[in-house]
Amino acid sequence: MKKRCTHCILSEHFPGVSYDSEGVCSFCRDKSFLQTEENAIQKAQEQVDELLKTVKAQSNTYDAVMLYSGGKDSTYTLYQAVKKYGLKVLSFTLDNGYIPNQTFDNIVKITDKLGVDNLIFRPSKENMKAIVKASALYPIYNKRTMVRISSVCNSCISMVNTQALRIALEKNISIILAGFTLGQIPVNSIIYKNNYTFLEESRAKSNSLLRKYTGEWLDTYYNLPTSLVKNTVEWPTMVNLLCLEKLSEEEIVAAISTLGWTAPKNVDGCSSNCQLNTFNNVIHEKVYGYNPYELELSHMIRKGLIDRETAISKVETMDPELFKSIADDLQISEDEIGNAGSLYKTGK
Amino acid sequence: MESTLQIQEQLLEFVCRNYMVERDDVIPDESLVDQGIIDSFGLVEISGYIQKEFGIVVVDSEMNRANFGSIVKISNFVEKKRNS
Ligand SMILES: [Zn+2]
Repeated sequence: MKKRCTHCILSEHFPGVSYDSEGVCSFCRDKSFLQTEENAIQKAQEQVDELLKTVKAQSNTYDAVMLYSGGKDSTYTLYQAVKKYGLKVLSFTLDNGYIPNQTFDNIVKITDKLGVDNLIFRPSKENMKAIVKASALYPIYNKRTMVRISSVCNSCISMVNTQALRIALEKNISIILAGFTLGQIPVNSIIYKNNYTFLEESRAKSNSLLRKYTGEWLDTYYNLPTSLVKNTVEWPTMVNLLCLEKLSEEEIVAAISTLGWTAPKNVDGCSSNCQLNTFNNVIHEKVYGYNPYELELSHMIRKGLIDRETAISKVETMDPELFKSIADDLQISEDEIGNAGSLYKTGK
Repeated sequence: MESTLQIQEQLLEFVCRNYMVERDDVIPDESLVDQGIIDSFGLVEISGYIQKEFGIVVVDSEMNRANFGSIVKISNFVEKKRNS
């Protein structure tokens, strides 16, 4: 059995964690945290309201482009964007080749029901596999980034972000919506300017590593055309509407079920849109010694949105068959997986 | 009002608290990104922090390496903005 905080589920290898005599972790002991977060959420809500008012008044074809994975969180966010905030949304889906059929059915059903346009971008299977494989086996990202997310997930999300930004700039859309929750992103990132030139620097190193292990073609997915960047005066604003709500998973699922959303079967308890999730989590656990969902689920426990037992079952139930089927599909051997851990540890 | 050194001190404290690093691990005149201390979210957080903490407004064109490249550069930038 893994040693975990007795209140949340942060385990002993989580960076910066320590436990008191009652086994409560340093993060749970920080009582001021939730209040600070509450204040930040309130401030973000004001900023969001003001931004939406301005953007809606511009009467463009679309107020926002939304990163729509078809999972429960982004489905709820899309629903909210349309129904609660009255936004004209262009939804955008990255098909990484590992989306369950049920999730695709959900995407069609929900966008139809909400009257929302949908764009799908599907990189070639060969390229996508190369990206997944490189992300899983080599230390591409900053260790600090990995406290919130697995390496493969991060590669997909970086691609979605870049492509959504491209769509926003090409179509003159001022807002990019995403369905991240607090715990997945820091509280200061509920709303922020997606300034590509500013943030590019922080991604340069990981991009060059990913390119090294895949190919020059990578830039098509992770870079914006220079002309587009040069001509941009004002960058779109990223908004994570779901961070403004305080909802449990059951409440989210109940709300979107009325729209016809159905949970896919062949995914693990942490994801409702990607078959890679189990594989990513197992690798992350092997490399870093903790599950990439620990931070998010612990955050939900502290807010009273999930009970500890359910959270533990989510991170501890990993189907070995699901892992093996993905490893086989990517043609990754057990030796390579074992080697990945040691590559990370030596920082090579 | 805080001096540049005090601003630096405050920033250093913010970085250490938020990114779980020791003071001695932060080189003030080197990029926090290059040092592996922050990622893109870190940049967003720091720009949010200085706007709130020091009451300045940062516009898109000011978000670059010249202004945000290190603790020293950020402090100088804050100082310059407050005096303008
Ligand atoms: Zn805890």
